[in-house]
Amino acid sequence: MGRTFAVGICFVFGVLMFVQYFSPHPAARTVHRTVSEYWQIIFAFGLLIGVVAVLRSNLRQLRWGSDRPYRLVTLCGLAAMPILALVWGRGIDSPFMWMFENVQAPMQSTVFALLAFFVVSASVRGFRARSVPAAILLVSALLILLSRSALGSAVLPQLSDTAEWIRNTPSMSARRAILIGIGLGSLTTSLRVILGIEQTWLGRRS
Amino acid sequence: MNVETRHYAFLGLFVCVGLVMVIGLRPGVPVTADTQRMFAYIDSLPGGSTLMVSFDHEASSLPEIQPLALALLRHAFSKGHKLVGVAFLAEGTVIGYRLMQKAAAEYGRKYGQDYVYLGFRPQHVAAILTMAESVREAFPQDYLGHDYNEIECLRTVDSLGDVAAVISIADGSTTTYWMEYGQSPERLLVLAVVTAAMVTTYDPYLASGQMHAMVGGLRGAAEYERLINRSGGGERGMLAQSAAHFYVIAMIVVGNVVYFKARRKRAAS
Amino acid sequence: MPEACYLAPILLADGLFYIDKLATLLAAVISIAVVLYTTFHRASRERFRMREIAGLKSVDDAIGRATETARPVLFTPGWGGDIQRPTTIASMNILSQVAERTAQYGSRLVYPTHDPVIMAVAQEVAGESYARVGHPDRFRPEDIMYVTSSQFGYAAAVDGLITRLRPAAVFLLGTFEAESLILAETGNTVGAIQIAGTDSTIQLAFFIVACDYTLIGEELFAASGYLSQDRSIIASVRAQDILKVIIAIVVVVAVIWSTVLAATRSTAPAWWKF
Repeated sequence: MGRTFAVGICFVFGVLMFVQYFSPHPAARTVHRTVSEYWQIIFAFGLLIGVVAVLRSNLRQLRWGSDRPYRLVTLCGLAAMPILALVWGRGIDSPFMWMFENVQAPMQSTVFALLAFFVVSASVRGFRARSVPAAILLVSALLILLSRSALGSAVLPQLSDTAEWIRNTPSMSARRAILIGIGLGSLTTSLRVILGIEQTWLGRRS
Repeated sequence: MNVETRHYAFLGLFVCVGLVMVIGLRPGVPVTADTQRMFAYIDSLPGGSTLMVSFDHEASSLPEIQPLALALLRHAFSKGHKLVGVAFLAEGTVIGYRLMQKAAAEYGRKYGQDYVYLGFRPQHVAAILTMAESVREAFPQDYLGHDYNEIECLRTVDSLGDVAAVISIADGSTTTYWMEYGQSPERLLVLAVVTAAMVTTYDPYLASGQMHAMVGGLRGAAEYERLINRSGGGERGMLAQSAAHFYVIAMIVVGNVVYFKARRKRAAS
Repeated sequence: MPEACYLAPILLADGLFYIDKLATLLAAVISIAVVLYTTFHRASRERFRMREIAGLKSVDDAIGRATETARPVLFTPGWGGDIQRPTTIASMNILSQVAERTAQYGSRLVYPTHDPVIMAVAQEVAGESYARVGHPDRFRPEDIMYVTSSQFGYAAAVDGLITRLRPAAVFLLGTFEAESLILAETGNTVGAIQIAGTDSTIQLAFFIVACDYTLIGEELFAASGYLSQDRSIIASVRAQDILKVIIAIVVVVAVIWSTVLAATRSTAPAWWKF
């Protein structure tokens, strides 16, 4: 009964959102806006589940003694930000914003920056001229890399045009073909979910 | 900890980029057509035009986004345009405000009169659709809590149709929503300022004309700084990026030389 | 607006329909018809053979290796998508199959995610898989965890898990963004077999370089059908193939027509421009 109800709701809202996409009528826009806003509310409650899950998991691991320092840092971070926000507010010059701008943002940028180092190791491993297609890939990659650097374009002015051609012709064609495949896969998967054929997301049968 | 070959490669990258930053070369960067197009559009607008700037990015991409965003904001403020800032990703909210504040201060622009920051609104699709009819309804107050009706530079802005264009500063796919829900039904002009990784994603939109102009990555920032004749983080970042590119190219060449030598040895034995 | 569109006055009269989206609607209706046909028509559900996909052939090997070396299997759906995304649904289907195998072989399955709803669904999916093969006792719901919604917080957390747990097999299947190469390279450093698949063409390039096997494009959506031989999923794969043929025909016709128009310096009729 529960599964049937869930599948029914999925079908109704799936069809509704499909139909509203094609209509400029104010009613269609209202439907879209309302559903989006309710989705946001559901997402917020979902976050609550996440917070509880993180707390439970880390407290349990802390008791068992595994990776204690990491667990402590996680729990302190989880507690610190809401406390700062509740006590001093989230104004532009509040401690909460200071923590975001001076701790969280730099930490995120630092992890993102790791990508540069990993690109080096991945490139050395990946760009080897093992075969003719691999050699073509290697040459294309070198041309694009050079064209995106300051000196490359200055030394060889045609480099930009060549790189542009590689980006806009063979690369874009391949990308569009992959995107068509992905689009079709997404379409069939979504249809299966809306029509109730696909029920994996409902989880366990009672 | 076992030190492996790749650790030396990482160390080499660090040394290479660090050295170049210390030496502080200033490479000239030729301006590409895409950047020129963006510059030409903002330059051609009559002074006092209203532009919406949407900060659709996260904190992690700040090193790349900041030079780009500042260059655009400086250009817009230097031409006397009025800017209305919004954010559709929570992390971009305070960053967007700080960037607007910084750029405005350099040109003596006043908050409320020459620019305003409306803040963050979740559910970007719903927000864009609402703003298409009424910006006031989407943002009854600005980021600092002032009522919409009290803000001078918003007096001529009722809906998205009253802005000349929207500049989406993004590190992800949020710009797509501006084009689907802003450009498509409302014929809003969309300009994109994106990280280098997103340039290829938006190329089809630029090629088809759905997006009017796009500037991407640190290279785009360096080019734009050259156009506005003002050096900033773009040029410096471009230097580091170029050094890293040459290092990667060198490592690829070395990797291939080692590979072919090993292959020849295997074939001989 | 196309000048020769005779339906325009009727459809636009009440502002009910975006005439610009007519082509999209037609394409959608055709696609839905094809999917329904392949799914429900008996004749179309005859035995349909899928070609071999290298990455999927090695799923059993990867999990077997994890069992032999007493190291866990790590499966993560990436940061870029939430539960309503088709890629995440496809990833859940594959999780169901992987969980069945880890239950049978007695390997530990670790599943970190950035979304609490995905965590809840994954717990249900994996739990059902373990129960289905008769090993509900082996299921550890605490191994399916929500880490954080922040992109690089998630990347750091998964990296930490990979570095400490040293999984023998890593499945990176779902929607990934900039964190893809960080995760893939870290998996590479611990010597894990990595099977990846994503709907982002940018991140696919990173996965192809850094992972042992990569599911490209619609292979990710076909994967669960390949592993489970589920008739409805296989029917969807067949529908995708039919639609691809239709698209190819339309592209060829359009290219020929545009070339002829350009050669004769004619203009295309208004209804062609959508």
